Amino acid sequence: MPLTRRFFLHKGALAIAGTAAIPSFLVRSVLAESAARPGQRLVVIFQRGAADGLNVVVPYREKNYYAMRPTIAIPQSQVLDLDGFFGLHPSLASFKPLYDQGHLAIVHACGSPSMSRSHFDAQDYMESGTPDVKSTQTGWLNRALQAEDICCREHYTAFRAVALGPEVPLTLAGKVPALALDNVNGFTVAGRGPTPSPVADAFQAMYADSGDRIFHTAGDETFDAVKMLRAADPAQYQPANGAAYPNSEFGNSMKQIAQLLKANLGVEAAFTDVTGWDTHHAQGGVDGQLANRLRDFSDSIGAFWRDLGDQAGNVTLVTMSEFGRTAHENGTGGTDHGHANAMFVLGGGVKGGKVYGRWPGLDNDQLNQGRDLALTTDYRQVLGEVVTRTLGAENLNIVFPGATLDPSRFLRLV
Amino acid sequence: MQFLKGPLAALLCFVLCAPPPALAAQDPPDRPAAGSGRPQYESTQLHGDRRILQALDRFTFGPRPGDVEAVRAMGLDKWFDSQLHPDSIDESPLFTHLAQFPAMQSSVQDVLARYPSNALIRRIINGRAAVPQDPIESAIYENQIYRIEARQRNKANRLQAQNQASPSNAPGNSMNAATADQNASMAQPGPAPSGPMNAAPGDAMQMAADDAPAAGSQPALDEPTFRDLLALSPADRVQRLASIREPQFDEMMKSLRPPQRARLMDGLTPAQKEIVGALENPERMVGEELLSERLMCDIYSNAQLLEVMTDFWLNHFNIYLRKNEQMPYYLVSYERDTIRPHALGKFEDLLEAVAHSPAMLIYLDNTESVGPDSIAAERFKRTAWRRPNAKRQDPPGINENYGRELMELHTVGVNGGYTQADVIQAARVLTGWGVDQPELGGGFIFNPNRHEPGTKKVMGVKIKQNGEQEGEELLHLLATRPATAQFLSRELAIRFVSDNPPQPLVDRMAKTYMATGGDISAVLKTLFHSPEFWASGDYHAKVKTPLEYVVSAVRASGADVQNYLPLVNALRIMGMMPYGCIPPNGYSWEASAWVNSGDLVDRMNFALALASNHLPGIRIDWATETNSNPDAPAPSPETEEARLIPLLLPGGAAESTRTAALDEFQKQSAQDDMRPGADIEPVADARRFNRRPPPNAIEREDQLLAGLLIGSPDFQRR
Repeated sequence: MPLTRRFFLHKGALAIAGTAAIPSFLVRSVLAESAARPGQRLVVIFQRGAADGLNVVVPYREKNYYAMRPTIAIPQSQVLDLDGFFGLHPSLASFKPLYDQGHLAIVHACGSPSMSRSHFDAQDYMESGTPDVKSTQTGWLNRALQAEDICCREHYTAFRAVALGPEVPLTLAGKVPALALDNVNGFTVAGRGPTPSPVADAFQAMYADSGDRIFHTAGDETFDAVKMLRAADPAQYQPANGAAYPNSEFGNSMKQIAQLLKANLGVEAAFTDVTGWDTHHAQGGVDGQLANRLRDFSDSIGAFWRDLGDQAGNVTLVTMSEFGRTAHENGTGGTDHGHANAMFVLGGGVKGGKVYGRWPGLDNDQLNQGRDLALTTDYRQVLGEVVTRTLGAENLNIVFPGATLDPSRFLRLV
Repeated sequence: MQFLKGPLAALLCFVLCAPPPALAAQDPPDRPAAGSGRPQYESTQLHGDRRILQALDRFTFGPRPGDVEAVRAMGLDKWFDSQLHPDSIDESPLFTHLAQFPAMQSSVQDVLARYPSNALIRRIINGRAAVPQDPIESAIYENQIYRIEARQRNKANRLQAQNQASPSNAPGNSMNAATADQNASMAQPGPAPSGPMNAAPGDAMQMAADDAPAAGSQPALDEPTFRDLLALSPADRVQRLASIREPQFDEMMKSLRPPQRARLMDGLTPAQKEIVGALENPERMVGEELLSERLMCDIYSNAQLLEVMTDFWLNHFNIYLRKNEQMPYYLVSYERDTIRPHALGKFEDLLEAVAHSPAMLIYLDNTESVGPDSIAAERFKRTAWRRPNAKRQDPPGINENYGRELMELHTVGVNGGYTQADVIQAARVLTGWGVDQPELGGGFIFNPNRHEPGTKKVMGVKIKQNGEQEGEELLHLLATRPATAQFLSRELAIRFVSDNPPQPLVDRMAKTYMATGGDISAVLKTLFHSPEFWASGDYHAKVKTPLEYVVSAVRASGADVQNYLPLVNALRIMGMMPYGCIPPNGYSWEASAWVNSGDLVDRMNFALALASNHLPGIRIDWATETNSNPDAPAPSPETEEARLIPLLLPGGAAESTRTAALDEFQKQSAQDDMRPGADIEPVADARRFNRRPPPNAIEREDQLLAGLLIGSPDFQRR
């Protein structure tokens, strides 16, 4: 029997939770070969509100960058130089060592090809994986897990796809059951004791027998997950290797994702989002609104990486935002809705220490519609490579229908 | 719960237990799941009490005990008509509740002046405003000045310590640190704040605090002093509390145990309670009252459709509470003066009111938008030489935020036929629309100096240069577009009918909108009289949002709410805190946003905590009937279930719910080991409320049963 990675994940879950904790119907059989490397997990972070990529990964050799951003540009002397052309915003100090060690890759001038400047449409398009197609009801990550099932259907647990937050995001919506929780410690019904309370059992029976299809399914998923998490005893969690998470919503989410990954609950795909990027007004430069956001962002991810320790080798983390912001600063010390952006890809298997993608330039005639960074890499090109190499999703037409991704054109960053 | 006896109970029992065969055939007991096949409207229409329940489910925040009977007595059509005319409805019970929060009836300026925001306090610290004369108001200001200065000092000390600890810090980092908080005017470690306001006493207090290292570890208020306080009349007690200086005041308040605190507040008028809350933290007090008042109206108003629509428009014209420190104050007026008066009126009036509201102009940054060729921008360019070192050298300009959302979210919708060029044009039209002295709670102002000159063209329509009037033209243009009629009708149909509303219904509503000049009541009337609204396939099929869930649970259980904060906290945990949605699109009305494991766990825990009186300041007496009626049969699992199901689920409970609840109820022994509500964490202020004696066995069993019913799948839908 080939030892595939899901078998590994599943065994991990069993070892911790005990066989009794996983109802047999959840354990889908049929082991098969996987294209991916074993035990890979994917963490997806969505920066909602459109992060200002030009001040995140700064093209500090571009004269026009400084001309277009008189009050908010990051001076050349302040950037954390990456390659003599790009530099990180100084608040991203936690990213610098990861880049230098070759774990962190950056793709610039990247994003969704949709020209929508609506946050909500653009987020939907990015999450559905079908830019400019409104009718898509499922998310690319859910379909990636479906594609994985087709090529190599195996066991999975209630924690296979998990979102930290109050609701399942569109990215994870679809046939594969996904779990949403905002606090692993609070994820229990009627008390935190070592055994479920009778009331919880009554609820479980009530939902299990319900003819209400939606709540029947939600109830089943809920109580399975509650049981597994109870066995993993999340209240005892201590970050490892001296990892210090910022005391912020995002820091907390990253800590809990690390916690779930390390508890061997069978997590394959984890999602969380981080808000506060819509900097129309007074976004600041080296300091200020965006700087504070970025410090929280990079310190949380840095702590996550440190916390995972050896296990970080099996984790790939990718960030995205619905679009970039205008190359020019606006009249109120901020930036308006733009186009291309920068993505981060972090992981043990990532060929980091490099800024990928073709740089379109920032001269006035090189801008998209005369106002934004032009797009040279479709974000699906990056995600397609990531899901192929991590989840083993081979049929990319399922993951990104209509994109006709050509693996020979992957950036080869994983 | 006396009203449940007699004819109503009999009728409910009839409806629930023995539906006539024809009805049973049309309405299978298993409710259809959302997203199941499209119902046949012609053949399967609701009848009888199910029509009443459907109307109550959709047009109110959930039926209270007795509501079905009241609507039946009045007649459904007449009831709906009265809901469309809220002036005709007796709201005296709500007014009694509202009297708890006098500040919520005041103007923004008055609330802000009496209970200052932190922004206002910092103006005083910076010497740009003065503390009021009134001794009580002055104490509120001084306490908060002390806290903010102490916070600033702590931060400065921490940074200093950090810099000393790591002298090799990159210069960039130390710069970040020194201006870390844009909003806070940093108190530098060196010189004392230079305002006219007592810099010296502040320092003295700080020294006093430094000299008392054990402060806080021992009770700051010894027993005789506390007893002295209690002996005073309420008015004198408030005077005395206001006379206690910081940091002694905070130390004393924090040292109080919940029963002590309750005794301290005992006998105080609502206004006096507000003062004590403001002495502790004025901005927090206003924010808490704002959120409490909204839930209070949702729960207790008899004009339920008005509250449902107020909530609908507050979500449609979403605003985030923490946009800045003035926002809680402006939201008091936004709900009361901007949204509610127009919630059932003409949409154009509502749109106008929102466009003139300081809350929206601040939230979507229009106050920041300046025409690039306006007088203000020209003046800026002319005088630039005077500011050779100023950070900003470019003149101020357009901010597109409001222009975009006005079209995308407020009126025509994202497919409403506008382009990026239209967004910019709309933003130009709206330049100059702003707020007069926002830090003092001022109102709308049109500033012609900031207005962009020239003719604009939005969606093919020319708007000639005409100052403020251009904005009026734009709003009229948008409010009267067919795309707006469609967009709003669809959103209403999703809220009131189904996640996938039938297009003919939406078209019919949109037609009414166009024919009546955007009359919201007329559109709702069309909806009410449409067969799609009464289709049995959609009966009890809408999944409740967290707000609908929490409020309907409180209403159904007849809870007496003295403290709304546990409800706010529950909504926060469930991801739907009022005014808590940061992006401008508001919360979703659709099931897909709210049905998931995390949300379900939160709902079950809330149900148990609510039903078993574990939420501080919220009290439900499940056994009223049993206790007060000596002739009632001895309670058994069966009698209690028969009593509680019609109360909480007037449409009936599924067999699976009944069985599971009854089984557990029967198993429940006197020595039960349940720990309901352990996970709804009581908010800090819960300590204000006394604990009650523990429930007896019957009460405990009722609480368990009620908790199971409120947490059941049946209660998740409306």
